[in-house]
Amino acid sequence: MTTNHAGPRAEVVRGTLEMLALTLLSEKPMHGWGISLRLREISRDVFDVNQGSLYPALQAMTRRGWIRAEWRISENNRRARYYSITAEGRKQLSAEIEEWNRTSGAVNRVLRFAYTGG
Amino acid sequence: MAWYHEITASLAALFGRRRQDREMDEEMRFHLEMETKRLVDGGMTARDASRRARRDFGGVERHKDDTRDERGAGRWFDAWSDVRFALRSLRHRPGLTAAATLTLALGIGATSTVFGVVKRVLLTALPYGHPESVVAVWSAWKGFDQTWLSYDEWEGWKARVPAFADIALYFDGAATIDGDSPERVRSSAVQASVFSILGVRPERGRGFTAEEDRPGGPRVAVISHELWERRFGADPSVVGRQIPISGSTTLIVGVMPAGFQMPLDYAGGEPTAIWFPLATDAANQGAVPGPAFPKGGASHGYYGVARLAPGATAAAANSQLKTLVAELEEFGYMSNVGFHAFVVPIEEQITGRVRPVLLIVFGAVVLVLLIACANVAGLLLVRGETRRRELAVRVALGAGTNRLARLLVTESAILAAFGGAMGVALAAISVRLLRANAPLGLPRLTETTVDWSVLVFAFLVAGLTALLTGVLPLAQARHLAPAGELREGGRGATSGRARLRWRQLLVATEIALAVVLVAGAGLMIRTVRNLLTINPGFRPDGVLTMRVSTPSQWYPDSTRVVAFWDEVQRRVAAVPGVTRASAVRILPLATEMGDWGLVIQGYSPPPNQGAPGDWQVVTPGYFETLGLTLRKGRTFTAGDDMRAPLAMIVNRAFEQQYFAGRDALGGRVRISSSDTTRWYTIVGVVDDVRHNKLVGTVKPQFYATLAQFAVAPGSTRRSMSLVARTDGDPKALIASVRAVVRSVDSRLAVSEVRSMRDIVDAAIGGQKFAMQTLGVFGLIALLLSAIGIFGIVSQVVASRVHEFGIRAALGATPNDLMAIGLRSGIRQAATGLVVGVVAALVLTRVLHTLLHGVTPTDPLTFVAVVAVTGVVTIAASFAPARRAARIDPNVALRVD
Repeated sequence: MTTNHAGPRAEVVRGTLEMLALTLLSEKPMHGWGISLRLREISRDVFDVNQGSLYPALQAMTRRGWIRAEWRISENNRRARYYSITAEGRKQLSAEIEEWNRTSGAVNRVLRFAYTGG
Repeated sequence: MAWYHEITASLAALFGRRRQDREMDEEMRFHLEMETKRLVDGGMTARDASRRARRDFGGVERHKDDTRDERGAGRWFDAWSDVRFALRSLRHRPGLTAAATLTLALGIGATSTVFGVVKRVLLTALPYGHPESVVAVWSAWKGFDQTWLSYDEWEGWKARVPAFADIALYFDGAATIDGDSPERVRSSAVQASVFSILGVRPERGRGFTAEEDRPGGPRVAVISHELWERRFGADPSVVGRQIPISGSTTLIVGVMPAGFQMPLDYAGGEPTAIWFPLATDAANQGAVPGPAFPKGGASHGYYGVARLAPGATAAAANSQLKTLVAELEEFGYMSNVGFHAFVVPIEEQITGRVRPVLLIVFGAVVLVLLIACANVAGLLLVRGETRRRELAVRVALGAGTNRLARLLVTESAILAAFGGAMGVALAAISVRLLRANAPLGLPRLTETTVDWSVLVFAFLVAGLTALLTGVLPLAQARHLAPAGELREGGRGATSGRARLRWRQLLVATEIALAVVLVAGAGLMIRTVRNLLTINPGFRPDGVLTMRVSTPSQWYPDSTRVVAFWDEVQRRVAAVPGVTRASAVRILPLATEMGDWGLVIQGYSPPPNQGAPGDWQVVTPGYFETLGLTLRKGRTFTAGDDMRAPLAMIVNRAFEQQYFAGRDALGGRVRISSSDTTRWYTIVGVVDDVRHNKLVGTVKPQFYATLAQFAVAPGSTRRSMSLVARTDGDPKALIASVRAVVRSVDSRLAVSEVRSMRDIVDAAIGGQKFAMQTLGVFGLIALLLSAIGIFGIVSQVVASRVHEFGIRAALGATPNDLMAIGLRSGIRQAATGLVVGVVAALVLTRVLHTLLHGVTPTDPLTFVAVVAVTGVVTIAASFAPARRAARIDPNVALRVD
């Protein structure tokens, strides 16, 4: 599964996409398009590719029990499928954030080292 | 692990598939609509907004597929829907489906059958305890490359070869179970430790004790499981019962486990059914007691079997024996005859001869399987051609290439599964056929069964064929460029060219592999023909043989034995259809013949060498019955009886060796160990009979009559083979000849009923087996290649109809067009032939141990192979090429 728009806006790797979606859902329940829109807004359109690939990720997280899906009426009175985070999902999210911080901290240290020449 | 989520998700996927699909559609539609609306609000036209939203979303179908994949058990449903889809599309092309399935069934069936044989014969451990440390022990000297041990050697090796944990002697014979329906069975006289050396305990009762295994010990026996069931109805009380065997009451002390066979039994014939204690010792043997050796040598008459000491190897045993023999030679034991002793691991002893045959056959069947796969891959490629547009549409609609790949692989897998199932059925049938028609002389072949391991093997092979046949169509589909494909339009006169190359390569490969197989088959056919044209020194066709013994309690002296055979011979000769009858000590090519020391007047042997002669004992009429060729003098007559002057007939090798430059007729010979006053006179010379082997040198051999051999050296032959010649089918006479023997003496059992032709065939069983299997495989290979060529020429003609139409319109004759069609097939054939011949020239080398009278690169065979394969491919190209010739330009140019 490679993207045909290779470029600065790299495709979000599945794991990252899941973490970002979980983060958004930890604030409030949202529907798929809502998540996709928020992601683009916050990331200033870095994650503006292949919006559809969000759905397999949501399905996978539902299967693992991290999120729950239910049909509700949306803000403009349409039926939409809303996702909300579960207790397990929160646990997963904090574990992933911790992991992310560790990794990015390490990467940052390496980069700093490389630029300052130690 | 949140396994329960997985389970509930799976259940939801199982039971709510349709609902989930609907919801997914709705969810994605919602997304697209919201996105479009957002863009319109941002100032875009509705049309642009909708397009942009779709583009940013990505392939809807692909995302749907991916989402379905995340549903847990749902993916099984995808697989199931793939299967259903594949089944549907296979059903739409019944011809192709049938052809592919049959081809795979043929390949998988043949491979599984051969695997079953290989597994049974080579991979299944022999029914001995730790068979890897059991070895056969042999002696050898000039003229005997593998022969019996003497009692002294046994004692010596037992005491002085540390690599042996234990060693024991045995020999084989036959015994009669007396009673109303006497039965003659194979027997073995064994030292008490033979069973423990083989690592086998009787399943009931016990083996022999040391008390029983001594001269004059009690008369006891152990019987085989099979005899116990057949003869005694598996009655447990047989153990401990007294049974009359060969005229004496015998106590049955044990029953061996089912399937137990003596090492020699595997060489052919019926398995041993009764064991007696060998009951001998040094004194009895005239041997030197203890681990010492007589100067000069000793009588060799026992088979040896040993168990290696823990950690010892056969190689260690061999080097210890070598050192020991060198010492003995110094001392004067068996010196100047090139004496040596050696061991052979029991497995090699039993299956060593068939191993190369089976490995070759297995290699050949793998080639057949490859050809079958190439053929099916070719068929699927053609289908891929016709399906390009369908697949292109699917890709354009967003079906991921992964999904497409899965579809194609599913199709191959279904074909392979069908082929595998049919292949297993085919294997079950062919194993049955094989067991019924197993070539004689191949050990364990008749034990072959289709068991779970064969099923597993067939399953694996089917999986492999699925991969092999699926990979090309897959590669082809991966290169689909939907836009180009859909633009190409209906008239792709030359569009398939590049893809056609794949098929051409496949077909050329098939032909190359077929050439290798046909070359192998050709060489084996020539070998077997050569072997069959070897003159064995007698005429085997039309001769029936059976073994009859005259035990001493009913035939106490030789006069009665001779009288019995006179009577049997007379009565059998009177049976309608029988032209001649007589009896012989051992049948040529059935039982190996040893030699007897001779004293020959006018011949002085080189120092330390005697004048040995292979000894044969016959009744008058034997030469005529078996069809030996008399060179000079006369054959035996009824007059050569006990009172007449001793008459001997010798073979040509005898005359050449011992009467070089002299006339053997009238020559005088004494059989050593007989009364020094009894001299035989040579009355005839016959052509050499190839007694021990069809190939190799023939040793000097002499013949004496049963009656006179009882006079000198005074040995009464109690077991003889009755031979009867007929102009018709010898096996049709079995019942009447048996009846005659019974009418002469109903107490005697008849065994080893065979035709002489069977015996000769068994002697070349390995080669015949290789010839038959390679022959069948070669035929299959040719057939499959022909189908391949047929297919490719058809495809070429079909794809160039338009071009042919133009050519025809421009004045090309039907013959011109046909030539173009033919050429397309012949080019592949030629490539395949060249590659195949080169490969065959290299590969047929593996046959060289089996070949006789023909080299692995025999030019005649190769020319014939090229001719046969060439003719087959041209014939296969012919029909589709003719279609090209009949093309009507008016129609062809209108074709879409």
